[in-house]
Parts: sequence; structure tokens; C-alpha cells
Amino acid sequence: MSNIKTEIIKTENISFSYNPEENSALVLDGIDLEIEQNSFVAILGHNGSGKSTLAKNFNGILLPTGGKVYACGIDTAQSDKILEIRRNMGMVFQNPDNQIIATVVDEDIAFALENLGVPHDEMVQRVDEALEIVGMTEYKHHAPHRLSGGQKQRVAIAGIIAMRPKCLIMDEPTAMLDPKGRKEVMATIKRLKSEQGVTVVLITHYMDEAVQADRVIVMDDGKILVDGTPEYVFQNVGLLHSVALDVPQAAELMYKLREYDIKVPISVLNEKDCVEVLSKLLEGKIDNNHREFNL
Amino acid sequence: MIKDITIGQYFPGDSVIHKMDPRMKIILTVVYIAALFMVKNFWGFLLTGGLLIVIILISKIPVQTVLKGIKPLLFIIVFTAFFNIFYGTGAPVFPDIGWLAWLKWGGLRNAAFMVIRIVLLITGTSFMTYTTSPVMLTDALERLISPLRYIKVPVHELAMMMTIAMRFIPTLTDETEKITNAQKARGADFETGNIIRRAKALIPILIPLIVSAFRRAEELADAMECRCYNGGDGRTRYKIYSFSLRDYIAAFIVLAVFVSIILINVFI
Repeated sequence: MSNIKTEIIKTENISFSYNPEENSALVLDGIDLEIEQNSFVAILGHNGSGKSTLAKNFNGILLPTGGKVYACGIDTAQSDKILEIRRNMGMVFQNPDNQIIATVVDEDIAFALENLGVPHDEMVQRVDEALEIVGMTEYKHHAPHRLSGGQKQRVAIAGIIAMRPKCLIMDEPTAMLDPKGRKEVMATIKRLKSEQGVTVVLITHYMDEAVQADRVIVMDDGKILVDGTPEYVFQNVGLLHSVALDVPQAAELMYKLREYDIKVPISVLNEKDCVEVLSKLLEGKIDNNHREFNL
Repeated sequence: MIKDITIGQYFPGDSVIHKMDPRMKIILTVVYIAALFMVKNFWGFLLTGGLLIVIILISKIPVQTVLKGIKPLLFIIVFTAFFNIFYGTGAPVFPDIGWLAWLKWGGLRNAAFMVIRIVLLITGTSFMTYTTSPVMLTDALERLISPLRYIKVPVHELAMMMTIAMRFIPTLTDETEKITNAQKARGADFETGNIIRRAKALIPILIPLIVSAFRRAEELADAMECRCYNGGDGRTRYKIYSFSLRDYIAAFIVLAVFVSIILINVFI
């Protein structure tokens, strides 16, 4: 059965409104989505595009007003299965301060396990394991409020990882962190995906983070605007700009160069590739047959 | 640093007293209080006071700190002592001076006993908070009162509230500081004027703080639900407390003092 692709999240034409009785505006409007197991999906969109609302629909924190959401094959509307859904669909929020419950790191990580009724010995082992995965073992007995933002967010991630979820939904986990903290958290996320085989859904507005995903979904006004590989999505520079989103700087540069009819490859998304392309261009290896190219 | 504020006053350390099981500390404190109120004579105070001195020495908490703890209650102590003087019985202190006839030995004795009793009570009970972190205290309290859940007392919910409250003290203190600075930057004045003026000046701090606390509460609730929080039923505990030898020795000593006081009351 392993070669059959399995989707961990599936939405069928979901719509969502915070006040359905008053016919208030739809925050989500007809979203059809399938997210495969062990993929790394980034969801982009400016504020109010519905991306956080969508994320909360994935694990039954919010239930769709219309349509169905299946998490690990279970309909999220089944209230008796909600714990199983939430255990498998771990969710991390933006502000680590508002997710940490206990006053000591290891006790906080144990919180979810206590809720699930995990026996004590197994709990101790799983707390240590989760700390190890996020690289916070040496802070086991520290008070969370004394840690840096990136460390706090890693503790929050460990608190979720301890449940051994199949999927990790992250709602702008780096938005409140400094560049160092962002790097720590991104490295942790990527390691989780590659080493633990966790499916990652990352909601972000940082382009350099979205580029690292296997698939990028751009949302606008409660709908999916573009969906595809980062290479594919970031070609649509004009479209992204029209919904007030940036593209990675490298893609932007390539886009500008192409406006001048300089034939550069379209799939350049990071600095390293960009430097390579530019140096080839300057050496004259890329055919520049339309324009004089002087620097 | 303002962030270090905790409820009560906890002095981290690793003395035997610090390491004792917090449940035992609570129980023994209650026994100690009971013993104090049963004391009727000097010998009883010698025993309870002696026990307290031993505890102070073992816990290595500076005596000045202990004395500072009494200071805020000095007024109450003096007040009770003062009134106890008037209600004495027995022989007058100055039989030859007529207008001092109300001053009796019994009154002086009562006043003195009251002072000793209150001082021992305050210092003795504060040792529980001096040597136990607030988290451990709530934890222990939850476990001790957990039988009450059979009479429908929401023990788990109360303990959860206390834990979250303690967890958010540093966060909200931080936030208060930020809001204060933000309002100062906009020209708010918190330092001048009379009390009413200053109290009014706090409103621009309190309102944003409360609004933000509610927002935090909502987010925290979501985060707790994401971690499968489902009330107290079927929960297991990460931290397990067990009584060790030192707890039994402590219990033995305190109970010995307790029994001695009863014996002293009976035979002396």
C-alpha cells in the first residue's frame, strides 16, 4: 500500500464564516485541498487572506461552515474523534508566550501527554525525546520565561512533538522571532520533516521560508490563488505583487532581468543559484542575444 | 529584576528542608500551627520555638530575612498585645499604686504569650513558602485536596487556574512594563499629582493590559485544545511525589513536639 499516495489533510469545498447567522463575509470560500503525507507545504497570504482560519480548520479548532475537512481520513466534525485528530495534527501558534502552560520546560512538554493519559514512565521518556529533537535538552529544568524567543518556540514545538503527531501545522511560528530565532525554528522544522517523517504545513509570510517547502499555496480573500512548487509559484511575480505579496529577492531579480529580455532561468529562488546564474551571465555563457549587456 | 516577582517569598536552596516533599511540609505546618495554639505555658513555647530555631538553622535562610517577614505584622502584634494587657486576671503588678490596679500579672502573661505565639506562627508558616517554590506548593495543594473532588469540588480546575496564573505573572509584568513605557513615550505622567490623579493615570495602562490578557487567554485556550486538553478526567501526572526518609524523620520530630505539648499541658 505504500506506493499509493496518501493525503493527510483533505478539504472538500470548505467555506467558513465567523458569524454564519448574520451572513457575514466568508473568510474561507470554496477551498479544495489535498496535502500528502510527509510533504512540506507552505501557505502564503497577506493578513486577512484566511490562512490562519484555514489552519484552524485542519485540526478541528474551528469547524467549516460548509464542506468537509478530513484529517488523517477522519471527518473533523466527528466530535468523539476530536482528540485523535488533534493528537495527530499538532499545531503551533505564533506567540510562544501564549502556548506555554507550565513554569518549567519539561513540565510544559509533558502537558499534552498528561492530557492523553500517557503512563508516567513512557511520559518521561517521550519528554526527553522531544527535548532532544528540538535540541533543548540542556534547558530541561529552566523557566520558559527566561528563554529567548526562538528557544521558547522550540519548547512549544517540543510540546507538540511529544504527542508524536503525523502532521505539524505551524501558524506563523517565526513571525515574532529575531533572525537567529527564525533560523533555529526553521532548522528544527526541516529536521522534523526529514528525520521524523512529519508532514509540515507552514503558514508564513516570509518568502525565504516558503522557498524551502516542496509546495507553496498562495491564498487571497479566502480562496486559493496559486498552488504548486516554489519554482512554479514564484514565476508569477505579477500575480503575487497584485495581492500585496513579495517574491524571494532572487526570483524578483530574475523577473526584472527577464523584463529586459535577458534570458535567465525561471527556477532561481535562492542566493546561491542566483549568484551562479549571474556569474555565468557576466561571463557571457548565457546567450544574451537581444540586448547589449554592460555593467 | 521585576520579572522575578513570585507569590510568597521563595528562596531557592538545596537544604534538607528545601528537598522535603511539599505535601509533607504543608501537613507538618498545619500540625505545627495546631501545636502552637495548644501551648499553655512557657515550656511549650520553648519546645515549639526550639523546633523553629532548628528549622531556621537547617534551611540556611538568613535570620534577617526571617525577621523582615515579621515587620509588616508588627502593628497587629503590638495591637493584640496592648489589648491583652487590659483583660488580665490575678494579682495586680503594682498593689501599692491605686490607679494602676487594673494592671494584673495575668494580663502581662497573656500579652507576652500572644506576642510569642504570633511571632512563632508567622515565622513558622512562612518557612513553608520560603523553602517551597509556588509551583510545588500548588501542586502539593492540589494533591492534598484532591479527595474533595468526590464532593464535587473542582480541584483540577482550581489547580489549573493557579498554575496558569503563576505562569503568566512574569509575562504580564513584562507587558505592563512595555505599556508603561509606551504611554510614557506619549507623554503620560505617572509620577506627579495626588493619589487620585495618579490612580487615574493608571487607567491607560490597565485597559490595554486587560485587553491583551483576554487575547492571550483566547490563544492559550486554543493552544491547550491543540494539546488535547480535556479537563481533569483521565489525566496522568508527569511529576510524581513520594515520601522519603527525610520526610518521615521530619514528621516524627514534629509529631514528637506535638505530643510533648499535650503531655506538658496534662502534667504541668
